[in-house]
Amino acid sequence: MLIVFVASFSAFSQGKFIDKNAFTSFYSSTPMEDILGESNEVLTILDSSNGEIVFQALMTTFHFKRALMEEHFNENYMESTKFPKAKFKGTIEGFKKEMLTAPVANIKITGVLNVHGVDKTITVPGTIGTDGGKLVATSKFKVTPEDYGIVIPSLVRDKVGKEMEITVKATYLPYGQ
Amino acid sequence: MKIKYAIILVLIVIVVGAGIGLKMFFKPHADVNMLDAEFKLEATKLLDEFQKEENTATAKYSEKVLEINGKLVAKNKLPNGTNLLILEDEMAGISCQLDSSWSAANTSVILALETGNPITVKGVCKGYLMEIKVSPAIVVTK
Repeated sequence: MLIVFVASFSAFSQGKFIDKNAFTSFYSSTPMEDILGESNEVLTILDSSNGEIVFQALMTTFHFKRALMEEHFNENYMESTKFPKAKFKGTIEGFKKEMLTAPVANIKITGVLNVHGVDKTITVPGTIGTDGGKLVATSKFKVTPEDYGIVIPSLVRDKVGKEMEITVKATYLPYGQ
Repeated sequence: MKIKYAIILVLIVIVVGAGIGLKMFFKPHADVNMLDAEFKLEATKLLDEFQKEENTATAKYSEKVLEINGKLVAKNKLPNGTNLLILEDEMAGISCQLDSSWSAANTSVILALETGNPITVKGVCKGYLMEIKVSPAIVVTK
């Protein structure tokens, strides 16, 4: 009985968790109009053995209210043909397996964010834990486009917010060994 | 007289320019239902191309309209209400997010879809992230 319990617990705690349709948005407030891009197709995998967390997004899956914004985002700023993906690989600070089964709590994640082909180490706040029987994680942080070599023409520079707010929401499912 | 004509000409240029500018600014998203597929192919062939040479396949298919024949293996709904169809393999297949306005007008078509059956979808290929992402997409009924 105990052996079965221990075996099933370790299978749970050592597995990987996946969400192929994590939500990610980025938002920038401008005097003219708010810019909001959203994707429901972000891939994320969480390794419960070491607290490592990976995100990958295809830039072309970000959807904007206006077709023109989407065009500018992909062609002028992100250069999606040259850099089709954004990636983040990081570790939850002070990770313990119990964090995954406990109620949602605040965490910090440190890792490397790659956007537009540029790597930058960042530490971002987030949450992780079990809510309604599901393992959920969220994060909200700000990035500056210039840090990633994204050039915004001076003509529109003051119209686009200095920083972009990134929001991430994932609901994980166990993923085969 | 000449000045009057010049003023009228300048006004016409401004109005036309503003019109073009506004039209560009408010340009609607492409309606995938109306677009012709640039490639018509089998789901297994598309997966094979992406799994063998991701970069080549991305350059070839990204942002192109594809019509794909395959086997429906999953029909899900995302938290925001988007209908999601998965072809061939639930983990590493082709993930198609249905266009929201098409979905609203074709609820009976979506309801009638059964997993295990062959299906044809048309949509914009976005690339490869463990699975091929297609969005927005519609179901082609024959």
